[in-house]
Amino acid sequence: MKLILSDRPLDIRPEDFKEIKYIDLSSLNISNCVGCFGCWTKTPGKCVIRDDAVSVYPLIAQSDEIIYVSRIKYGGYDTVMKTMLERAIPVQQAFIQILDGETHHVQRDVALKKAKIMAYGCTNEEEKDVFRQLIGRNAKNMNFKNHEVVFTSEEDVCDMVSKEVEKWEKQ
Amino acid sequence: MGKTIILNGSPRAPKSNSKRYADIFLEHSKGTADYMDIRKNNHGEICEMLDGYTDVLLAFPLYADGIPVTLLDFLKALESAPPDKKPVISVMINCGFIESSQNDTAIRMVELFCRQNGYTFGSVLKIGSGEAILDTPFRVFVNSKIKKLYTSISTGKYGTFDVAMPISKSLFVKASTKFWIEYGKKNGVTEKEMRAMEIEG
Repeated sequence: MKLILSDRPLDIRPEDFKEIKYIDLSSLNISNCVGCFGCWTKTPGKCVIRDDAVSVYPLIAQSDEIIYVSRIKYGGYDTVMKTMLERAIPVQQAFIQILDGETHHVQRDVALKKAKIMAYGCTNEEEKDVFRQLIGRNAKNMNFKNHEVVFTSEEDVCDMVSKEVEKWEKQ
Repeated sequence: MGKTIILNGSPRAPKSNSKRYADIFLEHSKGTADYMDIRKNNHGEICEMLDGYTDVLLAFPLYADGIPVTLLDFLKALESAPPDKKPVISVMINCGFIESSQNDTAIRMVELFCRQNGYTFGSVLKIGSGEAILDTPFRVFVNSKIKKLYTSISTGKYGTFDVAMPISKSLFVKASTKFWIEYGKKNGVTEKEMRAMEIEG
């Protein structure tokens, strides 16, 4: 399954493609994670906050190709995407393992994935560098097989995603 | 001597480990530091208060490899409503992994905020194994590093410090497994249930 997870509306028509799901996070009701550890220690694999996030993180887990579309702030994801990623913690277990010489959480049933991150709103090279470092960290904690960061403008991001969808169609 | 305010950016601020670390800092400060939780509805209040402080210490956990949304949203509010006299901003960050270096990206985010908004970046304490270290004999090491952090901020001789359990990674994995099994047990959840592979299953 292929997933486009965006923090803004995109003018694309994913209904044309069976294998592609498109989620506009800005249209959903997603509260902040409260850090209760419920998804690890009370209802493992399920967030105790039953809002729209609970329909999103299983799709993130299932996807083997994913495009994240996000505004960047202070070298990280801006609020909409970051809120969702914090709520995706149920896809991991509390337990720690050693991966590539570092300690990381054990993943539940999370597909190894190709990730492309379409980042818009970056102000300078330093911010891009911090964001690249962040994605390098995400790769280990979000089960990326490989990843690519594309910096673009908000005006161009929809066209960029459309081109990626065309590539997916031809696969 | 200046005056410091600790701002807790943890999503579970009043019950957080960041609060416990902040409490140790407050003990060392002997009345020269104040403390506030960052909440969704108090950003404006905090921004107005900052004129009374020479230093801000942001205490928060690593969250999904970066700064928590709680802190991100506050920094955005501070960008919109800066104090007349900008304080020096320091960081006290903790993560559940044994490598305190896993906090580095989040620290760079705060540095970037400072550079973009004209704040001087001050000291850093990065804590590894931060979920459990305070409940082990290694607490003394944390106490010592927080004292150094306090001294660096109060004297204006800013620096970077780090602390984690001084044990091997494999021993840390064993210890953390025991910690989480006990945590689940308090909720009536077994290790097998906690190891479920299903998501929303």
